[in-house]
Amino acid sequence: MRQLLHDMNPSVKFVAVTLAMLTLAFFFDPWTPALFWIGIILMQVFWSRINWKLWFVLMLPFTLGAFGYLWTALVFGANDGSEAILTFAGISVTEEQWQRALSLSFRVMAFSTLSLLFALTTDPVKFVMSLMQQLKLSPKLAYGVMVSYQFLPVLKDEFFQIQQAQRLRGVPVEESWWRRLLNLRHLLLPMLAGAVRKAERAAFAMEARGFTGKAPTEFYRPIMLTKTDFLLATFFLCVLVASCTGGILLTD
Amino acid sequence: MHKDVFTLRDVSFRFPEDDKEILNGVSFTIREGDRVTISGPSGCGKSTLLYLLNRLYPENCDGIVTGDIRLFGKKSEVYAPGEINHQVATVFQDPDSQFCMPTVEEELAFTLENLQVPRIEMESRIRDVLELTRLSALRHTVIQSLSGGMKQRVATACALVMKPEVLLLDEPLSHLDPLTAQQFITWLEGLHKEVGLTIVAVEHRLDLWGSFFDREISMDHSGRIIADGPFRRKTPIFYTRRASAVETEPALSVDAVSVKIKNETLLFPLSFQAKRGEVVVIAGPNGSGKSTLLKSLCGIYKRSSGTVEPERVGYVPQSPEFLFLEKTIEKELRYSGFASSSEVESLLHRLALEHLKDAHPFSVSHGQKRRVAIGAMLADNRKVILMDEPTSGQDASCLQELFELIHERVQEGISFLIVTHDMEFAAAAANSVILIKDGRMTGKFAASEIWQDAPLLASHQLLPPKGADQHAAAFA
Repeated sequence: MRQLLHDMNPSVKFVAVTLAMLTLAFFFDPWTPALFWIGIILMQVFWSRINWKLWFVLMLPFTLGAFGYLWTALVFGANDGSEAILTFAGISVTEEQWQRALSLSFRVMAFSTLSLLFALTTDPVKFVMSLMQQLKLSPKLAYGVMVSYQFLPVLKDEFFQIQQAQRLRGVPVEESWWRRLLNLRHLLLPMLAGAVRKAERAAFAMEARGFTGKAPTEFYRPIMLTKTDFLLATFFLCVLVASCTGGILLTD
Repeated sequence: MHKDVFTLRDVSFRFPEDDKEILNGVSFTIREGDRVTISGPSGCGKSTLLYLLNRLYPENCDGIVTGDIRLFGKKSEVYAPGEINHQVATVFQDPDSQFCMPTVEEELAFTLENLQVPRIEMESRIRDVLELTRLSALRHTVIQSLSGGMKQRVATACALVMKPEVLLLDEPLSHLDPLTAQQFITWLEGLHKEVGLTIVAVEHRLDLWGSFFDREISMDHSGRIIADGPFRRKTPIFYTRRASAVETEPALSVDAVSVKIKNETLLFPLSFQAKRGEVVVIAGPNGSGKSTLLKSLCGIYKRSSGTVEPERVGYVPQSPEFLFLEKTIEKELRYSGFASSSEVESLLHRLALEHLKDAHPFSVSHGQKRRVAIGAMLADNRKVILMDEPTSGQDASCLQELFELIHERVQEGISFLIVTHDMEFAAAAANSVILIKDGRMTGKFAASEIWQDAPLLASHQLLPPKGADQHAAAFA
């Protein structure tokens, strides 16, 4: 059971997550995102083996952001002229403002938790392969993404090496961030020159192994679509529909 | 009678943007079971020739081909894209950019998927090729975590899993150090005895190959074949004997320098001195701390303890372009503003860069880039120059050029610290050798003694230079 979300077909998961995000965007009451948020947290608790410590660390900035939303929406929200339900430090908050503010911050929490659910339970390689096999993503694009994924650590290494070498030439360590940003152009030229060479070599190597850009018909490890995927997707949609209905009922 | 694999008749080739031919009237026949090497100076078109045989060219570069190329008796144009790659497999030179999947198994599977091998067969083919290449233990290993030598073995396994008839090798050793290269060749020789393929290789370090090949096609600068005959064993590059330029005055004094990053000691305290005009080679196994030492001396890494005198020393990374900041070579030398106009002019003259002073530093050859990098360091008035792996991936003429560049500078009283795996180069250039292992300095040895001490070299994963006895005689 604890493996369910990890084993779920990445494409199906992706479609379900996207669908949920689009739907939530149309609800402005606080209950819908709140209920859905609790729903997906429960799903993660029971059906995944994610590292909760990492989860809390990653959620921290989003939580701060959500609180920021709450605060600004309360202080700067348009006054609808109705009676204030709460007054403190010279700020009066109406019922409507309170609802809006809560809705916004729960939405931030729901969206970020949903994104983390996807990110923490999905293997990037399987995701790209599944996009190619189930959603007919062009193999050229899919394997292109795979190659760049391989190059990322190499590029990161190179970035630091170039930076260090150029400091030695007397490029000052800039204090202000915009000067530092401006100086990036000196780093980008050598990096791009190297990246173009590497990309061409990788393309040649792939072609020499018979890659033509056509979708393969045989896969060593086909990413399967199983009954469990459809059950999970259905359950996912049920949670979504339930929180939407719950939201409508509770608001009235 | 062995059947013909490749037949070329009067083949010429040029890139659409050039007006000079890269290949010029090339004709030869390669038969089944041949082991051929194509040799020649850099830029003579050997790699181009190889790419015509596996059909990467002319499609990928819109190149213009004249003459007749037949692959397995059929005209090369009749092959559909990717079709010939079922029979002709290639191993390229750069171990870092040949793979698109994370693990060895997935990379092998990628190849089989391209060939549309039925899924039930894939498992046995992957298992067989891993057994054949003795890589079974690495099946689930992440490729990027492997060493360069192992990556080249994986690339070869990926080529062999296609069950090809021909194996093309495009300078497979150029990024490997000599010991790893020698191990790779021994491994390939064993493999060849079992499988018996036709092998066509482009290579410039032929001295490492022993008697692996049975035929050599030599080409010249204009892309013509100048010789085609039985392969003869090659001797390593011969460097002219270098008179020592070591002076008595000390140039660099390193005292108890150590490097510790995040509680891990990369370099234990070490001390040594170098004199004006001295060339010191730093050698040792991969990951032993050689590059760390250079970076701590020039201040890229923070030293945890110790002092370096003088404080400003020059550094030339393996890719010299990492240092470049300006749009012309002349401006590059002027960048720091230390050197006066006349000094910059004299530097351009001494480094033979006068005719290139308005060229963009990225547009010149690798050897010239290195000249610019050294020039920039000298213009900054840095009298000690540290070079990280300048010999890696260089052909014979580049190595000669590097050797002369160093030799000329030491006459001017510059000192060099050079990290290299190339012991022939070290034997020719070095006055002394520092051996490093596991972050500790074994010692600083006079070059005249160390080449005799094979056990000491072997314990640092080094091979004695070929012809070491001659060098010893020279020093005696």
